[in-house]
Amino acid sequence: MNFEALNDYISSTPLTWLILTLLAYKIGIIIYEKCNKHTLLQPVIISYIILLSLVFFTNTSFEKYFKSVEIIHFFLGPATVALALPLYNNLKYIRQLFLPIIITLIVAGIFSVLIAVLLLWVFGASTVTILSMTTKSITAPIAIITSEQIGAIPSLAIGFVIITGIIGALFGSIVFKIVKIKHETSKGFALGLVSHGIGTARAIEISEKAAAFAALAMGLSGIFTAVFLPVIIEFLKDFISF
Amino acid sequence: MLKGIITLLIFQFLGECISIVFSLLVPGPVIGMVLLLIFLIIRKSSFKSLDTSVTVLLKYLPLLFIPAAMGIITQVDLISREFWAIFIALIVGTLVALAFCAKLMDYLTIRKENKS
Repeated sequence: MNFEALNDYISSTPLTWLILTLLAYKIGIIIYEKCNKHTLLQPVIISYIILLSLVFFTNTSFEKYFKSVEIIHFFLGPATVALALPLYNNLKYIRQLFLPIIITLIVAGIFSVLIAVLLLWVFGASTVTILSMTTKSITAPIAIITSEQIGAIPSLAIGFVIITGIIGALFGSIVFKIVKIKHETSKGFALGLVSHGIGTARAIEISEKAAAFAALAMGLSGIFTAVFLPVIIEFLKDFISF
Repeated sequence: MLKGIITLLIFQFLGECISIVFSLLVPGPVIGMVLLLIFLIIRKSSFKSLDTSVTVLLKYLPLLFIPAAMGIITQVDLISREFWAIFIALIVGTLVALAFCAKLMDYLTIRKENKS
C-alpha cells in the first residue's frame, strides 16, 4: 500500500478542505437547531470556530485554504444578485411609508457609519481598520465586494459585519425599550439597516411586518452603501493626498 | 431551477460588464442586483425557477462567506493591536446606531400618521 501517495493526495486535493468546510457548516446547523436557534450559536460562528482550529492545527496557509474552497466563494456574486428578489417582494411597503423610509435610510445609514468611524478614530485605530469598519452594517456578500473595492481588508470587514449583526440581534429589543419605540415597522427597519441578515432573522420574531421592513432596509442599504461608499472614499483619498 | 440560476448568472455578468465598460466604482454584482430588481418590477412578478434558486442560495448565504472570512488568520496582529478600539466601535457604534435609526423612523412615521 502506498500511504505516501495517499498522504500527498489528501493534502493537495481541494476536496479535503471543501468537504471539511461543508461538514463544519452542517455541524453548525445541527448545533444551532438543537439549541433553539440561539443567536450566539449561528451556524456560521460554529463552523468558523471549527475551521479556524483545523486550519491552525494543520498549519495550513490561508492562500491554500482559499484556493481549495474558491468554488464556494464564487457563489457570492450570484447570491448578491439574488438579494433582488426579497427586496422586490417587500417593495410594496415602500409606498406606505415612502418618506420615512428614504429619510431614515440616508440619514441613519450615514450616521451608523460615521459613529463607528469616529469612535475608531478617537481610539487611534489604523486607516485600514477604519476602512474595513465602513461596511459593517451591510449584508456580508455586498460588504465583501465593496470592501475589496475601497481597499479595506475583506476578512476583517466580514468579521465586523458578523459581530454587528449579532450585537443588534442580541440587544435590539432592550435598546428599543429604552428609547421607547412605538411601531414594529421602525424596529424592523432599524434591525435590517444596522444588523443586516442577522437582524432580519431576529425581526421575524417581532412580527411578519417587522421582518418585511428589515428585509427592505437590508436590501436598500446594501445598494445605497455599495453605490456611494466607493465614490466618497475615492474623493476623500484624493482630498487627503493633496 | 436551471432557468433561475442562468438568470442570476446573466444579471451578474451584465452588471460586471457595465461596471467595467463605464469604469464604475460600484461592484458588478450590485449593479446586477439592481438590474434584476428593475427587470422584476417591469415583469410585475417573479417565476418559480428563480424563486427556487434564490431560496437555496440565500438559505446557505453564511456558508458562502466563510472562505473570505477565514482570511482573519492573517490579521491576528492587527486585531490584537487595535482590539479595544474595534471592540468599543462595534458595541457602542451598533447600539447607538440602532437607537438612532429606530427613533428617527418612529418619529417620521408618527408625524406622517398625524398629518393624514
